Amino acid sequence: MRRLFPIVMTALTMAVTMAGPTIAADPTLSLPTYTPAYEPRTVDERGLWMEADEEERLLRDSPLRIREGKLEQYVRDVLCREVGAERCQSVRVYVMEVPEFNASMLPNGCMRVLTGLLLRARSEAELASVLGHEFGHFELRHGLTGFKAERRTKDRTAWLAILGAMSRTDITDTRISLLASFYRFTRDQEAAADQMGLRYMATSGYPARTAAEVWRQAMAEQDASEIGHGRTPRHSYVSGYFDTHPTNLNRAMALEAAAARMPGGGEARADEYRAAIAPYLPRLLAAQIKTYDVGATDFILASLAAQSGWTGELLFARAELYRARGNPRDLQMASIWFRDARAAGYAAPELDRDLGLTLLRNGQADEARKALNAYLAARPDASDATMIQTLVATEQ
Amino acid sequence: MNIPRSPALLALAALAATPALSNMLVPPGPRTGIANSRLSATPASEWNRLSHTDGKFTEVWTIDGDQLDKVTFFGGVARGKALLREVDRKHHPLPTVKASMLITDIPVLLETTYRIRGARQMTIDTQEPAMLGGHKAIRFTYHFTLDDEVRRKGEGLGALVDGKLYLVTYEAPALHFFDKDVARYRALAASITL
Repeated sequence: MRRLFPIVMTALTMAVTMAGPTIAADPTLSLPTYTPAYEPRTVDERGLWMEADEEERLLRDSPLRIREGKLEQYVRDVLCREVGAERCQSVRVYVMEVPEFNASMLPNGCMRVLTGLLLRARSEAELASVLGHEFGHFELRHGLTGFKAERRTKDRTAWLAILGAMSRTDITDTRISLLASFYRFTRDQEAAADQMGLRYMATSGYPARTAAEVWRQAMAEQDASEIGHGRTPRHSYVSGYFDTHPTNLNRAMALEAAAARMPGGGEARADEYRAAIAPYLPRLLAAQIKTYDVGATDFILASLAAQSGWTGELLFARAELYRARGNPRDLQMASIWFRDARAAGYAAPELDRDLGLTLLRNGQADEARKALNAYLAARPDASDATMIQTLVATEQ
Repeated sequence: MNIPRSPALLALAALAATPALSNMLVPPGPRTGIANSRLSATPASEWNRLSHTDGKFTEVWTIDGDQLDKVTFFGGVARGKALLREVDRKHHPLPTVKASMLITDIPVLLETTYRIRGARQMTIDTQEPAMLGGHKAIRFTYHFTLDDEVRRKGEGLGALVDGKLYLVTYEAPALHFFDKDVARYRALAASITL
């Protein structure tokens, strides 16, 4: 054992020294210098932080915040795993119940994550790719540089107007060019944050290629939404003149190209992610269904089902989605999926109520009455029990 | 500053300061043709009818301002029509009244409409059978939050008559204001005839 120890230590030291310089020497993986407990340094930055502190107080006390369980802690853990425990110390995470695919970060380290992002992410790596992007904005001080760029543009535009008026010169083209250069600046910031997020992923072990998949998935959902609304889906590679973000296609391609030059990464941790989100899934699904975007919601459900199979929960959500739209064909399919959900083990009595109401709308009164009576038997004290009783008694 | 002294000039100045469509006092007593429909009511106390509406099927009444208490009449929303004005029909179309609707679908229609228009965490709390102007109706309560994050409570009374939706809702901040005027709303809703 004593002889073995030096050999093992030598091998370990070699492994560490070999692995270390590879990452350190790779310029694509270099991270900004980390300053613990960073404090704002200039008048502008102090002002921004003051505003951010106030905004954070509102977020902290917002009725939209999900305080139940340890969801915020989990999201922060994913970020910490990605950017490292030390950098993570400067961040507070607030999860807000808003069914939109988004997250944002204030200059003072306050991160706001919307539940729409949690519903769409399929693994910790997908969530981390968005969190890393936002953290990139924070660490690169984009809030401050963006504010300065905006003020600079406004100052120049104002001076231009004065000088133009004095010299009787038409300044319209120059003013538009100034504005366009500002929007170009914000797009460059987004691209820089994308690349920084990728570096956090690659250094943490989450597969860097996942970042591009997130945008591919977002485009596919957008297509489904457009088709659902009866329109033709389109994607452009080039951003518009006044777009604040690069196009999704542009981002996906840039991220794919950059990820290809980085280490392959390890586990995306999809199972761990599903387990952590499971207690909140019914709530997230219910909020998404009520967005009334059938195309996008059906796409999200199918994407979840591709991972876990069509569980009772997903079938119930799909039935509710089509029931809400309520065309005759929707009601037909909804009643089938309600029954499939029951067969797949979805046990809540509300399924009987919603199946009964669907059948009633579809003119199948006898079957409807059976389902509604089953609901009333299971939930005699429900807040809508007398309403349902009246329907059972009067609807033919 | 020169202040006009003659009554005619004063009246002219008052007119100039008033928008083209102004809010209007609703005195106690019978009132017909609410929301350009067959809805009639007999308010027992004074209300203010706001000049702005949320769509062509609506009429808004208030006592202290629609942020503090708001009664909305939805008068005869026809099949295929949305409850409120569509802000972004292309990307966020609103749900519409369907021929196969049950009265239990009225709260769902309101909730989905509100959520698309920006309400968060809207929940239907209770539902019970009721009568609206002699027709089978649903009375329901709900709560929601708008962008200002003020917790609001609401109560609605809706019916489907001849394929058209008639609904009256009352909404106010949960803190103090909802309870302050809910009795006046209930008296108003009870006086509705169709």
